[in-house]
Amino acid sequence: MEIDRNNREGLKGWLNPGRYGWERVSYWLQRLTGVGLLAYFVGHIYETSSLTQGPDAWAAMLELTQTPMGHLILILVIGMSTYHSVNGIRLIFTHGGKGLGKPGRPDYPYDAVSLNYRQKSGIWIALILAAAAMLYGASVLFGGE
Amino acid sequence: MTMLRESQIMKIHYITGIAALLVVAVHIMMRLIMPYSMSLGYENVIANYHNIPYVVLLESILVLIAIHGFNGLRIILLELRQSKAWEDGVTILTIAAMMGVIAYGTRTIIVANGLGFE
Repeated sequence: MEIDRNNREGLKGWLNPGRYGWERVSYWLQRLTGVGLLAYFVGHIYETSSLTQGPDAWAAMLELTQTPMGHLILILVIGMSTYHSVNGIRLIFTHGGKGLGKPGRPDYPYDAVSLNYRQKSGIWIALILAAAAMLYGASVLFGGE
Repeated sequence: MTMLRESQIMKIHYITGIAALLVVAVHIMMRLIMPYSMSLGYENVIANYHNIPYVVLLESILVLIAIHGFNGLRIILLELRQSKAWEDGVTILTIAAMMGVIAYGTRTIIVANGLGFE
């Protein structure tokens, strides 16, 4: 008999931010930024391929992308890539068992030891560095150089 | 339908992620060693594609991010729904998309490497 492995909650379960607090928000952001960066990566490869059609095609593509809206998208990409990288490094350590704390007896109110201040500060560091990188990106892109 | 265990795939995911971080940092620095708008000039970009170490860097960015990105997409899609047909379909589609993007990007690198200055 085949085992039913269907996930009954589907997208609703994936998007639920209320169940695990900040860790859930971090989980959600890691996936959203990942999908966003993959979309940008595919778009960037397409954008760069205009080089092969000569200087006019390249100039036409730059006219499309080097606009205030294009710069805003690039600033968002900078923030997404910084968050995804820093939070990804936190996840690598976490999956390796680093920063999870020691297992303890499950006493009421059953706060998970693994969801400790180290994990929470990792998430905050990722968010703060992403904001700082976006500010630097904005200064380069809108700085007039 | 997997030739590798999920634990091995996760190791590849982490290694490609860390390696991509390093090579993308160099790629971004190449845009910042001169005024940003000047770095996007056609002659300057074509000159980048004639620089063999930089071409190797671009190809490695292409391969590393394609593997990491499409495997990440596969993981997300497998978290949403689980069944044999879905898992096999998602794996085949993401591998095909990854290979398509690598092939298209490599074509740009090869053609741009052969272009002269106008």
